[in-house]
Amino acid sequence: MIKKEMIYRNPLVNLGYDNEDILPVGGFGAVLAHAGVGKTALLVQLALNMMLRENSVLHVSLNDAVSKVDLWYQELFHDIAKKFDIAEINDYWDKIQPYRFIMTFKVEGFSAPRLEERLTDLLQQNIFKPHMVIIDGFKFDDAGRGQLVQLKELARKYSMSVWFTVHTHRHEPPQENGLPLSFLHVADLFDVIVQLAAKGDEIYIKSLNGKSADSAKNDLLLDPATMLIKNGK
Amino acid sequence: MKIEDQKLRNIGISAHIDSGKTTLTERILYYTKRIHAIHDVKGKDGVGATMDSMELEKERGITIASAATYCEWKGHEINIIDTPGHVDFTIEVERSLRVLDGAILVLCSVGGVQSQSITVDRQMKRYKVPCIAFINKCDRSGANPFRVIGQLRTKLGHNAVAMQIPIGLENEAEGVVDLVGMKALYFEGDSGETVREAEIPQNLLEEAKAKREELIDAASLFSDELTDAILNEREITSELIYAAVRKGTLEREITPVYMGSAYKNKGIQPLLDGVNYLLPCPAEIENVAMDMNNNEETVVLDSDPEKPIVALVFKLEDGQYGQLTYIRVYQGTLAKGSIIVNIRNGKKVKVGRVVRMHAEQMEDVEYLKAGYIGALFGIECSSGDTFTSPEINLTMISMYVPKPVISLAIVPKDNKSQLAMAKALNRFSKEDPTFKTFVDNETSDTIIEGMGELHLDIYVERMRREYGADVTTGKPRVAYRETITQRSDFNYTHKKQTGGSGQFARIAGFIEPISDADFIFENKVFGGAIPTQYISACEKGFKQSMAKGPKLEFPITGVKVQINDGASHAVDSSDMAFQACARGAFKDAYLRAKPVIHEPIMKVVVETPVEFQGPVMGLLNQRRGMIIGSQDEDVMCVIEAQVPLAEMFGFSTILRSATQGKAQFTMEFAIYRQVPQSIAEKITLEAAENKKSAA
Repeated sequence: MIKKEMIYRNPLVNLGYDNEDILPVGGFGAVLAHAGVGKTALLVQLALNMMLRENSVLHVSLNDAVSKVDLWYQELFHDIAKKFDIAEINDYWDKIQPYRFIMTFKVEGFSAPRLEERLTDLLQQNIFKPHMVIIDGFKFDDAGRGQLVQLKELARKYSMSVWFTVHTHRHEPPQENGLPLSFLHVADLFDVIVQLAAKGDEIYIKSLNGKSADSAKNDLLLDPATMLIKNGK
Repeated sequence: MKIEDQKLRNIGISAHIDSGKTTLTERILYYTKRIHAIHDVKGKDGVGATMDSMELEKERGITIASAATYCEWKGHEINIIDTPGHVDFTIEVERSLRVLDGAILVLCSVGGVQSQSITVDRQMKRYKVPCIAFINKCDRSGANPFRVIGQLRTKLGHNAVAMQIPIGLENEAEGVVDLVGMKALYFEGDSGETVREAEIPQNLLEEAKAKREELIDAASLFSDELTDAILNEREITSELIYAAVRKGTLEREITPVYMGSAYKNKGIQPLLDGVNYLLPCPAEIENVAMDMNNNEETVVLDSDPEKPIVALVFKLEDGQYGQLTYIRVYQGTLAKGSIIVNIRNGKKVKVGRVVRMHAEQMEDVEYLKAGYIGALFGIECSSGDTFTSPEINLTMISMYVPKPVISLAIVPKDNKSQLAMAKALNRFSKEDPTFKTFVDNETSDTIIEGMGELHLDIYVERMRREYGADVTTGKPRVAYRETITQRSDFNYTHKKQTGGSGQFARIAGFIEPISDADFIFENKVFGGAIPTQYISACEKGFKQSMAKGPKLEFPITGVKVQINDGASHAVDSSDMAFQACARGAFKDAYLRAKPVIHEPIMKVVVETPVEFQGPVMGLLNQRRGMIIGSQDEDVMCVIEAQVPLAEMFGFSTILRSATQGKAQFTMEFAIYRQVPQSIAEKITLEAAENKKSAA
């Protein structure tokens, strides 16, 4: 039951993307928002959805400690599954937890070769093989395009898709296509770009790039209280 | 008590095992005139350093339990809490850290920052303990204090700044240059007791000036006044520098570094000056307690001596005159004759003798004010207990004590050992709430239970050394548990007619799994099908069944029993009959409720140099471990995993050999989780064999 419920909640399919994985193998996705709007929450929900479908997720955080990232997953999972019996939730959590691996780096210590080194450790010993990678806290302002190109090669080499959080600044007005200037130089590397925008009491999830032309347009919201995705009115 | 509160320091001396912590403590006590002779740690002269009061510590040259002692230095009163250098005595370490306001982090000038220094530093970080560093053993060959300062920066992330530079190193270690006062300090006399001030040697003057600049630069971030003085090229006084460094130290933003050689009696007195100048007094540290009347809400304690008493017992010791209870007062004044309440059990006690300790000697005092550390006599309590005035209900430490996860049978060799063992076990279970002991009714073995292999090893060793109990130990056993996974109904009749009055009882209802309690009994019998006087017998019978599962004989947890019908007989029904009936009903229903085995899963945190990350993950993976994540921190990395306790036996040896001894780990109980089918079969077989051999 929990599985059904969670898959039903696959967040971005409702925005009109073609398949459940949203990103192709080797593809890049980005979630853009100001600080504190819910980028991590959204990506953790995508990750939970993957884990439920028995696909592995490597969560790389450049801001938070392992315990804090783990807490995000536990909180959101429990919130989504709260109508079920607690024993059932815990059992299910035990089942899907092995599909997730958290790695944290200091921002300045993170690089594509370093990530590859860690990945090789995991793959060689058959400990973990990710289908999807989340990179939370990557500094687009500082990192040159080269860093992302290397990561893209890595994604192709290991058949993974990669989601990034992109921190946008309030003082920086968006360009015509809705993207912030600091992101434009790498935007072409991304297959899917989603933006979170707070309007009044609501947080809207808008697709800026990547969905099929004929797909129906649905509004999705992030509930500011629980950070869970819900359908718009 | 003549000392003003601002001149009080409660400090710990934290360090890696071989960095010379105990020697340093010994020298401090000597220079502060608490002792009149100096001994060696390893007990060459058969006396041993004064702070190590336990035999085992003396022999191994390590410090396990924390003794508290006090001394006076230049009008300041310093309480020294000797913290354990080993990471595995977690409760002990955490309690010591709880009572200190500041610390000296001792490092070896040759070995530098080693993995255990990292753990000790981490613990201090967790408890936000401000610290100053002392680089010891500058007389050893290969000594290089500036390399260690570099390691403090890179490996521990400290903003370390030298307060001194050495005058000569290795064999030529003569003294230090004080960068604040810009003078050379030499330590003369038989035991270095005379500090001679002199001009800085010419060959060191340039270096001293440069390092002083670095110190002032780092300190200026914490003082506008100092920055002003620099910018306006005014005189930079020692007071200005100390005030700025102190501010940074208290915020844990700067780590002042002293250096010397405790063994060669060099550099100790300036370090004590550093303690006075730079570490906080109790009033500068925020201490919190939990309000038991208000859902363990945190309450900030006030060091006002007039307020109700809040005090924490952090150590028990068996003295010549009975149990000595080390206590720190956080609020109010604990005086002779005060009435205090032990929050754990609500017992009121009247304070008798109050003493201040210096390792094994003591001095009677009238009272202990907030911030002070002392000891009480004749108080029945356990380590970690909070005592308060009767009108409040605050606790310093969470009342949650994890259940033991591992057990071991111990057998004394003879009668004498039996008595000594009983004495030791009684003491240990009082000292450490996670250590438990009981006698197994079936095998008559004495069982000890604790939180890990090493935890029990240490107690067994202490039993031998300190109490002279010659004991042999059995194989460690993991505390498996059983539980059910589905509802199962029962309708059981207990009937016996074997001459005399018979036995009759019938109980009907169901059992079902629950996750938030070990056992719940619910009575839904209406209309007197089971007379009210027998309901408690029913509950007792079910509860008895929980102690041992019918198949594997592990304790059962997470079961709700509901009874809703039954029958009795006017003559043949009795308490005993209903208890027996409940046991029968439980057994009957239990086997149909799909029982499973749960095993303790430990949270294992391994700290390893990055180059061993792969092999360490491999080791954890081989042990059915689930790796939660890895945290890269420059040259070190921290791997967090959940691993079944059953797979962790001997892990420390394996980890050491896989990482050239550079990695270390901590382990604590996390959760009980269902055992995979293949392992469950193995456990079932083992349990059957054990049963056979016991029979």
